[in-house]
Amino acid sequence: MKILVTLAWRNLWRSKRRTMITIASVFFAVALAINAQSFQKGSYELMIDNMVRYSTGYLQIQDVLYEEEPSMDNSLLMSDSLLISLKPFMKRINYMVPRIQNFALASAEAATRGAMITGIDPAIERRFNNLPDQVVDGSYLNGSDHAVLVAEGLAGLLKVRTGDTLVLIGQGYQGSMAAGKFPVKGILRLRIPELNNNAVYMPLSAAQDFYAAENRLTSLIIMPADPDDADRLTEELGEAVDSNWYVVRSWKYLLQDLLSLMKFDTAGNMVIIYILYLVIAFGIFGTILSMMIERTSEFAMLLSLGMKRGRLAMVCLLESLFISFTGAIAGAVLALPVVAWYHHHPIPLKGELAEMILQYGFEPVLPFSADPQIFVTQAVIVFVMALIIGFYPVYKIFRMKTVERSSR
Amino acid sequence: MNVIRTFGLSKTYNHLVVPVNALVNVNLEIAEGEFTAIVGPSGSGKTTLLNMLGGLDQPTSGQIFIDDTEITGMKESRLIDFRLRNIGFVFQSYNLIPVLTAIEIVSFIMLLQNYPKDKMEKRARELLDQVGLADKADVRPQKLSGGQQQRVAVARALASNPRFVLADEPTANLDTQSAFNLLDIMLRLNREENITLLFSTHDQRVIDRARRVITLVDGSIVEDQHFEK
Repeated sequence: MKILVTLAWRNLWRSKRRTMITIASVFFAVALAINAQSFQKGSYELMIDNMVRYSTGYLQIQDVLYEEEPSMDNSLLMSDSLLISLKPFMKRINYMVPRIQNFALASAEAATRGAMITGIDPAIERRFNNLPDQVVDGSYLNGSDHAVLVAEGLAGLLKVRTGDTLVLIGQGYQGSMAAGKFPVKGILRLRIPELNNNAVYMPLSAAQDFYAAENRLTSLIIMPADPDDADRLTEELGEAVDSNWYVVRSWKYLLQDLLSLMKFDTAGNMVIIYILYLVIAFGIFGTILSMMIERTSEFAMLLSLGMKRGRLAMVCLLESLFISFTGAIAGAVLALPVVAWYHHHPIPLKGELAEMILQYGFEPVLPFSADPQIFVTQAVIVFVMALIIGFYPVYKIFRMKTVERSSR
Repeated sequence: MNVIRTFGLSKTYNHLVVPVNALVNVNLEIAEGEFTAIVGPSGSGKTTLLNMLGGLDQPTSGQIFIDDTEITGMKESRLIDFRLRNIGFVFQSYNLIPVLTAIEIVSFIMLLQNYPKDKMEKRARELLDQVGLADKADVRPQKLSGGQQQRVAVARALASNPRFVLADEPTANLDTQSAFNLLDIMLRLNREENITLLFSTHDQRVIDRARRVITLVDGSIVEDQHFEK
């Protein structure tokens, strides 16, 4: 075996330029594929992170019927049994965000509009999504307030300002009438246009009073101590809570539309990556082919002398292995600092695109993902691809006729 | 004792536009220790005959025996092993492994034969010494002259301790002095080690030194001369 390795290694360096070109092909394929994948995944990770942090959270506990009919009647009860069910998981839970969310009519002196009323724990919400930072006029809520924050768009439509009074009318729990007058404590500038035109926030206790839904929530958002634990926690919590009343949803379920869109987009990008693979594959194949043409006589001579085809094939395969491995490792190593740099220093977006992203409340940057799986996957794919091409000489060796070449 | 025997050996190449009879009913016996030259004009069938005797190609009809083993119709995997242990080859264009040194090239055949490793280097050096290249053991082929390369090829051919050596136009690419040196070495090996050598050649220098000259014309033996030298 040692002589086969020696032969393979020295063969690589008998035509340095060809070997370097082949290694470079693998190298660039891996480096480009890693950067492309990292760029795409980084953008998605940021989007998901934004959505999870500002919208759904990683997990939500809901009433079993809430998804089918999101109304106060299908709100969940923060019962002792639920709290007991959650207790064993408290070490794995960073914090919980209780919310009541329901539509109501918001009326001021000049106009009436439909509004999304969200009852929040002001302190926890600050931690969850920095809501106080969105206050552009007035001040943020306290837990004991009987007041509301109105989104800037809605405030404009209703022509209300800080200090004015808002009348809310809606349907409360189990058909009760929800009606109340609330002073406007502040105005929020929300970046998502739809929310900015209909959001009203009030303290959770005030919302529970308003909807006559004491101790009830429409959702309990759970933020795990370790986000990577979210899936397992969802599963285990789902088994722990009373499934007759409660259901635990992960962010993957809650954001499935977004994820489907991303999968569709990923498929499009994969086509480009596959084309890249194909171009690189033909590049590698070209150099392997030239190597075969140059060495056919030598192979035939070795077979004539009594070298078994399997051993000769092993030499060629070892050569492919060296080239593929060196190229794949070098590509991954080179991609590492690039990915690390853009992971920590995301590419800033400018102009209209940046404005559009800002409108959705997201940071207008394109970060790279530093997920090690990208490095491993891309390096392995290109490595295997190069190795498969490396089987071409093996195939040729097993079909070679010694007499055609060896005697020349 | 005959090392090589052929009976009614014929080879027809049918894949050409017109079928070509490269060998026609060749009956041949080569005794142990012979120094034989196969001569004839281009296209007379010299190389085809050598390929048949070396087990590199199969005849259309006829039989070849090496000692008592028939190699015609032998399975390829067995034939490779048979070649490795019984036949040495010297090619016109040397065909050395360019990435190995002279001693590694000679040892390579022994490695394929699973020759004991502790004795391998000693034997490889002895063989290089026999062909006058003891001082070039660690040199790669591209740094050797044509004559030196062909001498390495001879050492390699002998490394497997074969029953006979086939040499296809071994001096064709060599200058006069190198050709004489090579022939001297091969003659010495033939005389001292009783190695059976079979050449195909156009080279009068080889023909002049051969003890037996077989002349092929259009695939048939037309003359078989023995000389006392």
